[in-house]
Amino acid sequence: MPKLRAAAVSFLNARPLTVALERSSRIELVLAEPSACAAMLERGEVEVALLPVGGLVGKDYEIVPGVAIGSDGPVSTVLLAGEQSPAVWDEVFLDTASRTSQLLAKIVLDARGVHPRFTQMPAADGLALARGTKGALVIGDRGFGVSANQILDLGREWTQLTKLPMVYALWAARPGVMAPEDVAELVRGAREGLGMRTELAQAFARERGGDPERYRRYLTHRIRYGLGPHELSGLEAFVAKVASLGFGPETTLRFADDHVRRSHVRRAVSLDTALQKGADGERLDADEAELLEEQAPLLELGLAADARRRALHPEGVVTYIVSRNMNYTNVCTTACHFCAFYRPRGHGEAYLLTREEMAKKIEDTIAVGGIEVLLQGGLHPDLGIEWYEDLFRWVKSSYPTINLHALSPEEIWHIARTSQLPLDTALDRLIASGLDSIPGGGAEILDDDVRRRIAPLKCSTDEWLAVMRAAHLKGLRSTATLMFGVGEEGHHRVGHLLRLRELQDETKGFTAFICWTFQPENTRLAPGDNSAHAYLRVNALSRLVLDNVPNLQASWVTMGGGVAQAALHMGCNDFGSVMLEENVVSAAGTTFQMDSEEVERHIRDAGFVPARRNMRYQLVAGKAA
Amino acid sequence: MPLSHLAQRALERSGLGPIRDKVLAGERLAEEDAVRLLETRDLAAVGALANHVREARHGDVTFYNRNAHLNFTNVCVAACKFCSFARPDDRAASEGYTMSLDEAVGSVLAKRTLGITEVHIVNGLHPDLPWDYYLEVPRRIHAGWPELQIKGYTAVEIHFFAEKFGKTYEEVLRELMAAGVQTMPGGGAEIFAPRVRRKMCDDKATAEQWLEVHRVAHRLGMKTNATMLYGTIETLAERVDHMARLRALQDETGGFQVFIPLAFHPEGNMMGRAFPKPTGYDGLRTYAAARLFLDNFDNVKAYWIMLGERLAQAALSFGVNDLDGTVLEERIYHMAGATTPQALSERQLHRLIRAAGRVPVERDSFYRTLRVHALPAAQEPGAPASVRPDARAVEARP
Repeated sequence: MPKLRAAAVSFLNARPLTVALERSSRIELVLAEPSACAAMLERGEVEVALLPVGGLVGKDYEIVPGVAIGSDGPVSTVLLAGEQSPAVWDEVFLDTASRTSQLLAKIVLDARGVHPRFTQMPAADGLALARGTKGALVIGDRGFGVSANQILDLGREWTQLTKLPMVYALWAARPGVMAPEDVAELVRGAREGLGMRTELAQAFARERGGDPERYRRYLTHRIRYGLGPHELSGLEAFVAKVASLGFGPETTLRFADDHVRRSHVRRAVSLDTALQKGADGERLDADEAELLEEQAPLLELGLAADARRRALHPEGVVTYIVSRNMNYTNVCTTACHFCAFYRPRGHGEAYLLTREEMAKKIEDTIAVGGIEVLLQGGLHPDLGIEWYEDLFRWVKSSYPTINLHALSPEEIWHIARTSQLPLDTALDRLIASGLDSIPGGGAEILDDDVRRRIAPLKCSTDEWLAVMRAAHLKGLRSTATLMFGVGEEGHHRVGHLLRLRELQDETKGFTAFICWTFQPENTRLAPGDNSAHAYLRVNALSRLVLDNVPNLQASWVTMGGGVAQAALHMGCNDFGSVMLEENVVSAAGTTFQMDSEEVERHIRDAGFVPARRNMRYQLVAGKAA
Repeated sequence: MPLSHLAQRALERSGLGPIRDKVLAGERLAEEDAVRLLETRDLAAVGALANHVREARHGDVTFYNRNAHLNFTNVCVAACKFCSFARPDDRAASEGYTMSLDEAVGSVLAKRTLGITEVHIVNGLHPDLPWDYYLEVPRRIHAGWPELQIKGYTAVEIHFFAEKFGKTYEEVLRELMAAGVQTMPGGGAEIFAPRVRRKMCDDKATAEQWLEVHRVAHRLGMKTNATMLYGTIETLAERVDHMARLRALQDETGGFQVFIPLAFHPEGNMMGRAFPKPTGYDGLRTYAAARLFLDNFDNVKAYWIMLGERLAQAALSFGVNDLDGTVLEERIYHMAGATTPQALSERQLHRLIRAAGRVPVERDSFYRTLRVHALPAAQEPGAPASVRPDARAVEARP
C-alpha cells in the first residue's frame, strides 16, 4: 500500500507532531517551508500537510481534528519587531515564509489602528531594515534570537484582542483522501511526539545552540498542541476576521473525522480562564497555577488576588500583631547557604540567652502592649528537650498572658532527635510545658532538590510537613511560609504551595501564609530573582492557589512599607508584626523598621482600617483597633 | 489591545467606569477625574489602567540614562521649609560649601571614564556668585568634554539670575545655551498652588514665574523637565491643579520631555517634625494618576534615589517608563535622609528592569535611544543560582 505523503515544516514547534511519523508505516514525511507546504498540497504533490491556517482560507481542505500548533497568550516565535512604537510605523516588511503570520500581523495592526504599507521581504533582510518608522515580521525559530526596541508578540496580541487561543497550523488534507486510520495515525504521532518534548528541546539546542530548558518550556508552556472547542473558536475567529477585514475570501471549516474532532490531545489551559477561576475562588490545578506563575502579568495576578481578598475579608480591616522575636541562640549545626545569622558552637560570636536576658525582653514586650513571644533559634547541639520544657514552664508561669509562638518544625525535629524521642512524644511534652503555636519558618522551598542545594542538612519536605500535620492534629495552629529567590524555578514555588494546600485540606491548621524573598547579604548563596516585582507576583499567586488558607501577611520587613502596601492591594489582609527585635533577616542586610504607629499609618494610608490581632487572628484591644 | 476582564470588573466595581471609558476613547481626563483616581482605594485597578496606557505608548521599553549630579553650592537665599540641602552661608559652622570654578568643573571632568552621558547641575541660590561663574561652569565643561550633555539650572535659578543680574529670562537662557547648557531640569516646581507656596517656599519663583521660564525656554527650542513635590501640606486637588497647569503649558509648547513626581523627605528640614515621609502607596497612586491625566507627556519618571529600588521597580507597573539613571554623588535627597545607595550600577539597574518584565533602554538627555539591552539568553530569570565562593567563609561546617 503506498504511503500517504505529508508535508511539514522543520520548525521546533512542529517537531512534536512530526517526529514520531518518521518511522510511520502509513505516512511519508516531506519537510518544507510553511508556504511550500501549502503549495505542495495545492498542487496535489502531497495528500496532507501541516498547513499554516492562512492556507485554509478560501479552500475546502479537511482539517484533522484534535491536533494543532497554537498558543493561548504569548508564543515567542511570531513577532513584529521594530525600533519605534508600532503606532508610528508606515511600512512593515513581511517575512515571505508564512502567509498566516502575515494575516495575523495585519489583523493585529489593524486592531491598533495602524495601517502601514506591507512589503514582502525575506525575514533576515526585513529585520535589518526595521529602523525608524519601519517594522518587520519575524517568524519561526528566528524569533528566539530577536532583540529589538519594540517587540509585539502576535500570539499575545491575538489573545488579548479576542480572548481566544491562536491556531497557527494544523494537519489539513485534500478532500476525501484521508482514511480514518490515517487520521488516527497523525493523532497517534502527536501523542507520542508530545511525550518527547524534553528530548526534542535538547536535540534542538545541540543543533542550534541555546538553552535546552528554554526550548523545553517553549514546547510545554508556550505552544498548545490541542485542537479542542476553545481552539476551534480561535480558528473560527481568525478565518472570520480575515474575511471581514477584506484580507481574503470567506472560509467554511471542514473536518476529516468528526469523531476524532471531539477527542483533543491535551487540555488547553487559558490564562484568562485561570485568572478568572482564581479570582472567583475556584480551585486552581497544577497546570493552571504553573501557567499563572509563568505568564500572568503582575497586575492581572494582583487584580485576581485582590478580588479574592475582598471576598474573604470584605470588611477592609488589615490586622497586625505586636510581638517580640527572641532568638534564644545563634548556634546552629545546619549551615544553610542562605543564612547570615548562625554561628558554629565555640565561635566568638556564638550566644545562648540567659533567663535574665529573656526576662528583660519579655517584660519590655508586655510594657509596650505585646502579647506574643516568637521564640526561634538555631539547632543547638547541646540542648535537650528538658531545657525547652523548663524554659516554657518558666515563661508561662511568670508571664501567663504571653502567647508562646515557638519552634519551627526544623527545631522540633532537632529536639526529638537529640533527645531520642518519637516526634509525637516530643510534641506532647512541649505542648504540656506551654507551647501555644508554631511559626512556619524553615519551610524555604518545599522541594527536596532545591532544599538539598541550599540547605543540605535541613529536614526534608516530608519531615517539615509531618511536624505540621502532627502539631495541627494535636490542636496547635501554625503559620506557613515560603522563602524564594534562591534560584529555584516557578514550578518549585507552585509545588510548594500545592503541598501546603494539600495539608491544609487535611488539618485546617494553618492560620496564615507569608512569603518573602531571600536576602543575600552576608550569605554564601547568589540570589535568583528576589526583586519586589517577583515578590508581588508570588504573593498574589499564593492568594489564588492557597484557597483554603484564610490570611496572607505582607512582608514589609524584607520589602519595605511601600511594596507591602501594594501587596495589601494584591491579596494580603495582614501587615505581619511589629517586631521588637529581629535578628535573622537583618543579619542578611535588611534594614526596614517600623513601630506600631508607623505600621498603622501605612495601613490607613493604603485605604484600610488597622486592627491588632493575636496569633489566631482574633482582634484584640490596643492602639487604633 | 483591550483591558482584561479582571481590570474591567475592578474598575466598574470601584466606580471608575466613566474614567476608563474616557481613557480608552483617548479623551482627556478632567481635573475631578484625576482627584477621583487619587482618592480611589483600589490601587490594582488604577494601576492596571495606567499600565494599559503606558504599554500602548511604550510597550515594555523602560528608559534610564547615565548621569552625574553637580551641586556646586548649597548656599541659598531661599528658605524652603522642605529642604535639607540649603545652608545660609559658606561658613564651615553652618556646613555651607561653594566650589571654586576649578573644583566644580574638575569634579565633572574627572568622571570622564565613567561612561556618563549627562551632567545635571542644580544649586542653591547663592547671594554672591557672579554671573560669569554660572556661564563659565558649563562653558568649561563643554570645552573639556564636548559630548557630555549638560542639563543645567532649574527655573527657580533662572528666575533668580534674571532678577539678580538685571536680565530677561530670554537673555539669561540665550547666554546659558551659548555656554553649552542643552536642557533644563524640572526642579523648583514644588506645588504651584499659592496657598502651599506661601507656606512652604514664599521667597522663590512663583508658579507663574516658573512656568514662564519654561515657556521661554521651550520657545527658544530648549527641552525641559517638570517635577512635583508631593506629600507635604498640599491637598489632592492641589496636586491635580499642579499637573493641570503643566498640561496646559505642554499643550501650548510641547517642550516638556518628562514628568517627575518627587516625594517629600522629612529628615534634616523644618517640615520633617510635622510631616512624615509619604508612604509608597501615595507614590504609586500618584504615578498612575499622572500617567492617565498627563496625556500630552510622553514620559513619567521615578527617582529610585528617593523611592528605593524595590518601590521604583514596582512603579514600572504603575505608569512609570523612565528610571533616573545611575546617578553619581547625589546630595540633595541624601541630606534629607534617603538611605538608598548613592549609585546603582548599570547592571543592577538592568536586572531590576528586566525582573519587572521590561526592556532596559539607555537614553540620552533628549530621550533618544542609545542602546537597547535585550535579554541575553544566559541571564534569563530562573537560571540556577550558584553558591558564591567569595562570600563570608564559614569556619566550621559539620
